Amino acid sequence: MRIGYFCTFTPKELIHSAGFLPFRIFATRKPISLASAYIQSYACSQVRGALEVALSDEFHGFVFTRSCDTLMRLTDILEFLGKRVYNIEFPTKIGNVDYYVYELRDFCKTLESWGGEISFERVIESLALYRELEEKLKKLFEVRADYEIAIKVQQIDVSGAIKLVEKKIEEAKKEEKPKILVTGSVCPYPEIYEIFTKAGFAIKDDLCTGRRFFEFNYPNFEPHDLDSALRFLAEKYFSKAPCPTKHYPNDYRFDYLLRLAEDCEAVVFLLVKFCEPHFFDFPQLREKLEEMGKKVALIELEFPVASTEQIRTRVEALKEVIG
Amino acid sequence: MISAGIDIGSLTAKCVLLSDSKILAYKVTRVKPKIEETAREVFEETLKIANVRREEVLSVFSTGYGRSRVEFADKAITEITCHAVGASFLIPSVRTVIDIGGQDSKVISVENGRVVEFVMNDKCSAGTGRFLEVMANALHLKLEELGSIAMKAEKKITISSTCTVFAESEVISYLSSGEKIEEIVAGICDAIASRIVAMATRVGVREDVVLTGGVAKNLGVKKAIEEKLGIPVKVPEEPQIVGALGAAVLASRKKNI
Repeated sequence: MRIGYFCTFTPKELIHSAGFLPFRIFATRKPISLASAYIQSYACSQVRGALEVALSDEFHGFVFTRSCDTLMRLTDILEFLGKRVYNIEFPTKIGNVDYYVYELRDFCKTLESWGGEISFERVIESLALYRELEEKLKKLFEVRADYEIAIKVQQIDVSGAIKLVEKKIEEAKKEEKPKILVTGSVCPYPEIYEIFTKAGFAIKDDLCTGRRFFEFNYPNFEPHDLDSALRFLAEKYFSKAPCPTKHYPNDYRFDYLLRLAEDCEAVVFLLVKFCEPHFFDFPQLREKLEEMGKKVALIELEFPVASTEQIRTRVEALKEVIG
Repeated sequence: MISAGIDIGSLTAKCVLLSDSKILAYKVTRVKPKIEETAREVFEETLKIANVRREEVLSVFSTGYGRSRVEFADKAITEITCHAVGASFLIPSVRTVIDIGGQDSKVISVENGRVVEFVMNDKCSAGTGRFLEVMANALHLKLEELGSIAMKAEKKITISSTCTVFAESEVISYLSSGEKIEEIVAGICDAIASRIVAMATRVGVREDVVLTGGVAKNLGVKKAIEEKLGIPVKVPEEPQIVGALGAAVLASRKKNI
């Protein structure tokens, strides 16, 4: 049974261990129709498109983790429509592990009430499987960023996903091209990434459909019971690749992004129209990146992407500017 | 050596033949649904005007939205680079290129003939040639007439709508309320200039400013942009072929940029 989730901060390990398939919902390729009855056109198209999928496909339930306001209101809409919905209150201010362990305990109870079974052994097994998938994706992306795979593995069973990534690692060949950092929220369309590679760039990313899905720092202890497994999970998600919907101590996200940009020729902000958390950070980040001597470009997206040629012109022009 | 630049835009196709830094001939045609055919035709017609055989052209570069569909081109370069190169070829002192095409508009900051930075508007038809087309249609005027009509106006009507579709309704309502046509047209030119200047401010405007693209032929728009920027704007003799010219210049250098 599929449980739909929307954000890379969702503890998919618990959904999996309970016997469900965690299925990441992205914006649809179809025109948005059903969703328009519940959500206005000036909300971002990722959320509008995701609602369209949530309403047209079969899901046993939906899990949210606190992130942007628009996504949070999607919780309300699905609840209003009588769907099985749970919102995990992921702390906006990163730091309080005890609080989040408490939240995860509640989430386990919810999964049980939805017909799932939670045990220490199964949680440990899921933790190991997802870690294997994440580490393999990291390895693959070190050779060659493959967004078709990064997107696909978020919608299939983790064991099958591991095999798929292993196969890709065998085939992957490193290409010596100038690096470009692509940052933003999500872009579930592989053809957009292809525009960058065809223009002659190797992509490094800071996206939920890329690195943010698999980049974690794992806690330094072995869980010995369910409670410590939940603590492991809380700490793991507190130290994942950061997102602008969270508050980190100091300028953690900015520093992280500037570090990623160091070996890149240019930085492209691939932002979904009306994505407030990313747009609020954009002016300051651009300033800092330009101070570093990086070329910065902003490309606005709206899903489903209607005209890729305009994006191609910008990306190719950026390549020509860099030389 | 003879080189050629072919610019397949959203509405028009342009071809320029260049020989030893001199323009031999150029041609502007309408784009047909079959881009490959359009490109071949505009190229052949330009060859005919210059009385040059195909074999004499040593290098062909393509640009514009249809650049990758020009099969016989040696290389495709974006219109952003080509407009910067073309404008620098005609007016070497250029630092800012404002290109207003049929479907998009862009502002390019140029240094020594190279692109430093650029912004593009390709999302909204307000601020492009399409805006003028829709308005000319609503006023039953020819597109080419708008500029000279605007120049006759003593004052301007303010078009408040930022959207082409709503602006068209606004224009029709001004007609119904008996406003003078030249004042409405001046208002239309002012509206497009406002969008362009807002975009140009993001890149930073440095003199000399060169206006390119089909809309540059409209004196009303040129005047409105000059008023808003507070500086004179230069327009090449044939602003529509600047992209194709840039492609021809790059083709003559036989290197990318």
